[in-house]
Amino acid sequence: MKRQAYLAILAAALLLATRLASAGPPGQLQLPSFDSLTGKSSQSVNITLDSTLLGLAASFLDSNKPEEAAARQVVSGLQGIYVRSYTFNKDFAYPTAEVEAVRKQLVPPTWQRLVQVRSKDQDNVDIYISADRGRANGLVIIASDPREFTIVNIVGSIDLQKLHQLEGKFGVPKLQLSVGK
Amino acid sequence: MSNDLDASLRAALRPVDPGEGLTQKVLAAIEQDTAGQPGPPPARQSGWRWASVALTVALLLGLGTAHQWQVRRQERGLEARRQLIEALQVTSAKLDVAYRVVNDEEKTENGS
Repeated sequence: MKRQAYLAILAAALLLATRLASAGPPGQLQLPSFDSLTGKSSQSVNITLDSTLLGLAASFLDSNKPEEAAARQVVSGLQGIYVRSYTFNKDFAYPTAEVEAVRKQLVPPTWQRLVQVRSKDQDNVDIYISADRGRANGLVIIASDPREFTIVNIVGSIDLQKLHQLEGKFGVPKLQLSVGK
Repeated sequence: MSNDLDASLRAALRPVDPGEGLTQKVLAAIEQDTAGQPGPPPARQSGWRWASVALTVALLLGLGTAHQWQVRRQERGLEARRQLIEALQVTSAKLDVAYRVVNDEEKTENGS
């Protein structure tokens, strides 16, 4: 009887550990694989940079170059950057079910929608932020137009001021973001 | 009878000339014996030789592995750097789309 109880506790502990390990840090989404889109899309960007790879990437940025020094500052507090972006030759070729699966994760109180943009040209952008005790630990951008679909998930301490410093560097457009407002 | 014995003993123990080669043979034997003494036995010598070869091979393998690891790390680092820059570009471009749309709407509202 004691042995059964011990085994039950052990199994529960293992299950909890597995769930915690698969959940990832706060602010990280469970992104679908989007395998089906890779063949259909004319262009795709699939970037997965966890904390180890971010650290490695940062170590290869040249601090003497202003733009790379700025990028280094941006990533200094981050734990991961995940980008999935697909461009198609036809309108609305991407599966809305997978996009909805992502949206379903972005619910209060963990996630708050900062911006929802719906344009006449069907350029739709939703920006969500996750915060803990007033400190941002996750950012999600879901952008779609008829021929393109993009999800960006930035995990970790996000400083918009630092992101703002990247304007005009690496081909990043001048955003004119009103930081701090 | 005793005289016969005495005579045969004398004959057997008579002095004999050892010949010219004896001295050289003895000296050569001594020299060979002295030369063989200070070094380790042949089996031990062979062991040291193998150990030094194994050490050299291990050292070369270690250096090769370290070099390969360094090359692979550099490749991974440069690829990660490229991906990071691309991710930042995509992020900023999408933020720009949001900004443009919001800005255009504000302008339209202010203009009307």
